[in-house]
Amino acid sequence: MRKNFKLISFKSVLFLLATILCWSSLSQGADFLSDESYEDQAASMKVADPIEPLNRAVFTFNDKVYIWVLDPVATGYSKVLPADIRGCISNFFYNLGEPVRSVNCLLQGRIRDSGLALGRFVINSICGVFGLADPASNEFKIGPIYANLGETLSVWGVGDGFYLVVPLIGSSTLRDFTGTVVDGMVMSTYSPWNDDALTVATAQGTNTVNRTSLRLGEYEELKSMSFDPYVAFRNGYFQIRNKQRDHSKNNK
Amino acid sequence: MQCEKKSPSFIVSLLFTFIVVFFAHSAVCATPDPTEQFRPFLEKVTKTLADPGLKAIPKKDQSQRVIDVVREHFDFREMSKRVIGQQWRSLSEKEQAEFEALFTQLLQYAYVGKIDEYSGQQVQFTQQRIKGERAEVQTLLVDKGKSIPISYILLLRGNQWMAYDVVVEGVSLIRNYMEQFTEILRKDGYPGLVKQVEGKIAELEKNIKKT
Repeated sequence: MRKNFKLISFKSVLFLLATILCWSSLSQGADFLSDESYEDQAASMKVADPIEPLNRAVFTFNDKVYIWVLDPVATGYSKVLPADIRGCISNFFYNLGEPVRSVNCLLQGRIRDSGLALGRFVINSICGVFGLADPASNEFKIGPIYANLGETLSVWGVGDGFYLVVPLIGSSTLRDFTGTVVDGMVMSTYSPWNDDALTVATAQGTNTVNRTSLRLGEYEELKSMSFDPYVAFRNGYFQIRNKQRDHSKNNK
Repeated sequence: MQCEKKSPSFIVSLLFTFIVVFFAHSAVCATPDPTEQFRPFLEKVTKTLADPGLKAIPKKDQSQRVIDVVREHFDFREMSKRVIGQQWRSLSEKEQAEFEALFTQLLQYAYVGKIDEYSGQQVQFTQQRIKGERAEVQTLLVDKGKSIPISYILLLRGNQWMAYDVVVEGVSLIRNYMEQFTEILRKDGYPGLVKQVEGKIAELEKNIKKT
């Protein structure tokens, strides 16, 4: 009798999990080939923006930081280091995040992806010299796997809260930013630079400058094309997020 | 006896099936392959961009020359229609034509910077999918230190696949403009939108002249 009960509860948990997973996969995925997805004007507006005035102020602040600090520094940096070396540095930082991605995949029930992310970490750390190269993508054909705590929380049914522009970080939502902070804390426990705050900040700064140096001019260009940069970047953020969280076959 | 009688009809039915399958097959083949059309098209675009003669002429003419090539497989009317959304139907034919010209010019000037940036980057075709008269061709623009995924969303017009959206790293150009335009249309209506697009074009044009 007791055994039976256990079996039933196990089954019901499994069913619940499956329902949650199905529901979450149904709720996302804007198919570009269906007209409804275009007509659904509110596609990116599903997340409320009640603190828009504050967000706009932070957006302006970040814009100034980008123009006056980040862009000049990254431009100088790009002149010192050739692009392929900067690509390697970017790979290195990305590789450090693989264990966190793997765990998040597991928490989301994406068992296969979890293994693939871990596989990428092992392959790139060993064959790719500490993750500087990406043989996992190039030789083993295991492309990057997207997962973070924000997505895990959304799979578990936690809502976005509201749209948030974070100083120096940019577009996020209340839930996703919480996830970013926790993911970062977990990563700092095993990253090579957990000695003191200065080292951590230097590593973070290098990552940001390096990333920016690979995309010089893109921000200005997108801004110059936009009618309302705040709306354009908010929309872009949600579109990218939708794509990264769409794990269907036609999004590989 | 009966058996002998049946066999001709059996052959006829087999032949019939064969014919049906054959025609059905050729009907499927009649849908052109999107990648087969976009491979030579994008080659032509990159060739135009790589042409040293292009850099010798003024910026404005450069963008004109590029857009004339791009036009072969880009449906700017469909783009304009989608970017405006539901209000498109309430516009007069003249207004629709006017907006199409404006939106094309906007894109022409917005992407003029890309001409200088082009330095022989290669286009890789990763995959495609077809759904009725729609298709998506996924490509990778391979650059130093990074590769940028670019998808072309296509519509079958006759036997030509025409792009009506470009999705760069997951961001659809049309959806992005649509959200901004919806806001403007809601506040200032169609005349307000035209004024803003014209203003943007003038601003971009000024930047072109400056450099």
